Amino acid sequence: MRPNVLIVDDDQAFLRLIQKDLEGFSESFNVLTADAGNAALELLKKTYVSFIVSDLRMPGMDGFEFLSIILKNFSDIPVYMMTSYDKPKTKEVVIKSGAAGYLKKPFTAIELFGEITKTLNKKAEGGSLHNVTLETFLQLIEMEQQTSTLRVVDKQEERGGVLFFRNGELMNARVGDMQGKDAAYEILSWSNVSLSIEQDCVFQEKIIQGDLQAILLDAMRVKDELAEKNEMGDDAENSEILLDAPLSEISETEDASAEAKAEPLVDRISTQRPETTAKVRPIKEEVELSKLSPIDTIRMKIKNSIGGRDGILDIYHDPNWDALIDQVSNIGNAFNCGRLNVLYVNRDQDDQFIIIPGEETTAISILADAPWDRIIDVLG
Amino acid sequence: MKDIFKDVMGITGVHGLMVVTNEGRVLLSRFSPDFRSEGKKLSQINWEPFTIEMNSIKDAELVYDSARFYIKKSETGFLIVIIGDNAPISMVRLNCEILLPQLSKIQPASKRLGNLLRKKIF
Repeated sequence: MRPNVLIVDDDQAFLRLIQKDLEGFSESFNVLTADAGNAALELLKKTYVSFIVSDLRMPGMDGFEFLSIILKNFSDIPVYMMTSYDKPKTKEVVIKSGAAGYLKKPFTAIELFGEITKTLNKKAEGGSLHNVTLETFLQLIEMEQQTSTLRVVDKQEERGGVLFFRNGELMNARVGDMQGKDAAYEILSWSNVSLSIEQDCVFQEKIIQGDLQAILLDAMRVKDELAEKNEMGDDAENSEILLDAPLSEISETEDASAEAKAEPLVDRISTQRPETTAKVRPIKEEVELSKLSPIDTIRMKIKNSIGGRDGILDIYHDPNWDALIDQVSNIGNAFNCGRLNVLYVNRDQDDQFIIIPGEETTAISILADAPWDRIIDVLG
Repeated sequence: MKDIFKDVMGITGVHGLMVVTNEGRVLLSRFSPDFRSEGKKLSQINWEPFTIEMNSIKDAELVYDSARFYIKKSETGFLIVIIGDNAPISMVRLNCEILLPQLSKIQPASKRLGNLLRKKIF
């Protein structure tokens, strides 16, 4: 099966046209279309997509909002933005927002094809492995402290997921719209997998806390339980064989002819959110929010919504902002738009702050590339 | 002059925009028909303390219960866009980024008069 390329545009005539134009490249990829950001997100939950092209100007969810959701929930999928509204700064702003590329409308099908193939080739630059033992391979990545993105396909269930490694550490995982440790357990519970390797990782910060060995042990326990359960159902035949096969056997088991026939398996998957197979989960520390200090409550709120990549440097009470808060509160009163909930300030030296008014004004200093708009959404 | 603000004002959910000088003088204000009276009140307030407090910013966003103010600083002063909850904020930011270089065309009246007088005299 070929990789899926998703094109998002509210212009139905354009979608029909581009789909028709790309028919000539149907041996290389499938073209899926969505006429709105929401429709595209629904599709992404069910279908593994390798490349997205989205229009910038769309009613409802515009291209930027769609892009920010993709960056948050499907960060391994490259997104190209396209627009006919091309102004000198547009490309710069689009790329700064996290898009993988920019296309000015009108463009030819050949131009688009070029961008798609260039990107898809990069996603499998590190090669592909079939019938491998995932656990052994991951231990090798850890040992060699590799930075890579592994796209994993469970061939039995025809589902797929992604594992992100930086310097040998498991940073994050994704299956459909599920991320973090749960997604990692899900992927690690698969027995008969194929991999493709990209030598890059979008995650700088570790979303999945804990040692890979511990995660692998937990996952194997889950897998064993599942195998036992399946044995009762008399349909767990090969999982043990693959579980403990050494890495050296992986390449031997790779059938060159089969591989030649094999299409990029990562793209074969339907990532319909799988039924949860993992029954064992590490005990989570449950912290009662009410017992936390206001600063810890803010920290927890952001962490729960955004995860480890929040770009926060410090959170502290700072009365130096009170005069500014008074001023902007007066402005809000004049416009009759209610209480001031939160403000974001980007100062000359690229000092960025999110300020929360209250009995004690709270300042959050953030990194230049912090997802500040998501943070203010959470706090606003 | 109106044209350079047309794109921003045309975005769904944009209630209005203002240009306020670094000294706190309102150079220009445009509001959609539904927000004219609030806009008028906004044009009448003393902006000077605000511009003093905001002197060192590049841009800022103020989130209120029912509106958001997007503020971008330029040499001329502050471009302030007032938007509702349903506005595509990224689109507003992009348009303001594009609009900013053109703000230098707007000069305070006294400066324009000064330029004119200088031309006449010399």
